[in-house]
Amino acid sequence: MAAVIFWVMAVVAVLGGIGVVASRQPIRSVLSLVVVMLALAVEFLILSAQFLFAVQIIVYAGAVMVLFLFVVALLGPMKERRQLRFQWGLALLVALVFGGFLYSMLGSVPFRAPQRTALSVFGTVQDIAYGLFTKYLYPFELTSVLLLVAAIGAIYLSRGGHGIQARREEDDRRA
Amino acid sequence: MPDYGQFHVGTSTLSTTWFLGLGAILFGLGAIGVVIRRNPLVILICIELMLNAANLTLVAFSRQLLNLEGQLFALMTMTVAAAEAVVGLAILVDIFHRRDVEDVDELHELKG
Repeated sequence: MAAVIFWVMAVVAVLGGIGVVASRQPIRSVLSLVVVMLALAVEFLILSAQFLFAVQIIVYAGAVMVLFLFVVALLGPMKERRQLRFQWGLALLVALVFGGFLYSMLGSVPFRAPQRTALSVFGTVQDIAYGLFTKYLYPFELTSVLLLVAAIGAIYLSRGGHGIQARREEDDRRA
Repeated sequence: MPDYGQFHVGTSTLSTTWFLGLGAILFGLGAIGVVIRRNPLVILICIELMLNAANLTLVAFSRQLLNLEGQLFALMTMTVAAAEAVVGLAILVDIFHRRDVEDVDELHELKG
């Protein structure tokens, strides 16, 4: 059963990914990305990461994508110029080289066997919280600083009078 | 493709390699999107797709080795992705208020 769910969700995720790249309208890209994220949330559940499953749906599909939708709605329909002729070939070349690196790395890099936890508690909120507030307390605090910096940066950029726009208008007035 | 072992969910046996393959395909799609698309908003969306694919591989390895560190790192990645989206979108909105941008190449003055 789990294998069937995996393959169905994998197909959904790949189709969504193609939709993200191939859609002409940004709104369709955003909605395709929501599909990918929901499919990946189900994959997380198969990997017994219950907490990440919930976070993926609440934070990613909920908050981040709604933010993207707001911006798309705010900016209205956008035109996109036609692609350069050599871009597809170049993109394919880069993807192939990257894939080759990835493949050769996967085959040759050894990794240590880390400590195991019991499957009965694996991925639960208690388990995640224990790791987050003991061994990884310092990185956890650093991420909160990162969020603070992002919030301050967003407020600064969206405030009138001090952003890029105001500086440009000032430059225009001077010129 | 090398085999990374299997694990059981209920009655079925899953291979970690499947998850890694799915992550690689999604990451590749995102990378192609970043290179071929010219709308700055769509480029941000494709970066989100790449971050999600990386998360999938982290969680897959975490499950296969029964070690929680992969999941904790995936959580941090989500935080970084949220911060990146917020700042990137704020910059985009600020730019688009000024004029219509059809192409990221028009934003070359961001180089400073």
